[in-house]
Amino acid sequence: MPETGRILQFPQQVRRKILSSAEAGLVANRYLGASESERSEELRLVALNDPDVVLAILAQLRGMADGSPSLVASEARDVYRVLADKQSLGFFDERDYFLGESALIAGSALRLLGRRDEAELWLDRAEASFRHVVNPGPALANVSYARLTLHYDCGRYDRALSLLPSLALSFEKLSMRREALKCRFLEAMCLKNSSRTTEALRKLELLVSDPALASESGLLGLVLLNLGDLATYEGRRREALPLYQRALPLLQSSNQAFAVAHLKGLIGEALRADGRVAAAVESFRAAIADYAALGMVTWVAYLRLVLSESLIALSRNREAEWEILAALPTIEAEKMLPEGFAAVTLLRESVRRRQTDGNALREIRQQVKVSH
Amino acid sequence: MEISDESVTRLTDESPLEKEVKLVFQDTLGLIHIALVAHYGMHDSEATELEKDLYLWFHRFCMRPGTRSPREARPFLLVACCQFAREFQRYLVGTGVRESDDRLQRLLEREPSEVAQDFSRSLELLTFRQTHDA
Repeated sequence: MPETGRILQFPQQVRRKILSSAEAGLVANRYLGASESERSEELRLVALNDPDVVLAILAQLRGMADGSPSLVASEARDVYRVLADKQSLGFFDERDYFLGESALIAGSALRLLGRRDEAELWLDRAEASFRHVVNPGPALANVSYARLTLHYDCGRYDRALSLLPSLALSFEKLSMRREALKCRFLEAMCLKNSSRTTEALRKLELLVSDPALASESGLLGLVLLNLGDLATYEGRRREALPLYQRALPLLQSSNQAFAVAHLKGLIGEALRADGRVAAAVESFRAAIADYAALGMVTWVAYLRLVLSESLIALSRNREAEWEILAALPTIEAEKMLPEGFAAVTLLRESVRRRQTDGNALREIRQQVKVSH
Repeated sequence: MEISDESVTRLTDESPLEKEVKLVFQDTLGLIHIALVAHYGMHDSEATELEKDLYLWFHRFCMRPGTRSPREARPFLLVACCQFAREFQRYLVGTGVRESDDRLQRLLEREPSEVAQDFSRSLELLTFRQTHDA
């Protein structure tokens, strides 16, 4: 048998022309930029049969998760399903790696959307695939981090706090500095939410003075946001506003849409506390628009109530009434208040009479905030 | 020694990382070739073909999140090399195209990661020499 004949018999992948990351990124852009209906079968074949492009698609999805979790969850699950149907893709461990990475991205995005059961399932899938790759350490550590954020979301702060130091150490050993910083931030957040505010403040102050954080604009923005929040909590309101203002461009530039919306609301509260009510109104409106764009209707309703209080303070009662009337249907539909909460009837009636009941409004706003 | 296939070597818009990947692969290619030909008993032309696949794999491997520098990723390159070679030879021996001897049989029974560890020691020696020659 001739030499080449023997080589051809080995059941290996067809070798494609290698694409540079820039070239692969262009195809990935075209793929992710097209809606489901615009995506031709040819584009789908080109993109999801080429390991370089799959790698680029996954990198782009990873970067988009904070800003567009719904889109990312849908795309990552789609990539996973297409790849799961393939017998092979790329060489050696690559199919397992791509399956694991797409499942991890899907799980992380679903967690951001609050779909925790689904998120857990996708993290299980990620772990199952990553176990078969040649260097599973970094990938499995990333899955562990995603699981700890789920504990955090579920309020299991003690469990997260007990596991975080070990994971942070793993990231340090793997030279994954960004992930190690994220662990330290999550630890501070767990402390903050466990009412251990002094410890949380100390952790956040250490983080913000770490030179490594300077190149992580999104994470730095989140640290500043929470330092401002803690300053407000401790009654140092004047210190909060400059921290928030430093955080805003950092979060905007790193595409952290939810955090940006949240921060605009906090800036509004800080401005209002500072007596700058007109500016606070503008900030609340900006936050409402951001939440609406993200489809986060309960946050929109809550902030409409907050906004209406500021509008009343400016004697812009008619505008306040519009905001209340726009918020009430969501508050009822989403069951944001206990059944038969009397203040709702009082507020609706007072608005109808064009004499908004400030006490009822405050009572509802406080209750909605607690249940949020 | 060079990666011979034009489609593999010609990259437009190479990033610094991609350039480093190529450099590290070229540096390790001699050792890879020895592993494939002298240890796994592959023919020269077969080894050359597998080296192209290995390069494509290593290029993408270095782009994965959490992968250290291409130089630090070389032990994984050797694991992949031994895995590729074992699968190739097992296929040829299994289909009767190639005869096996005791030495090859023993090698094919060993875990590729184990065999790669032996080669990693050569890599360390190579690095030591390069550092001291520089």
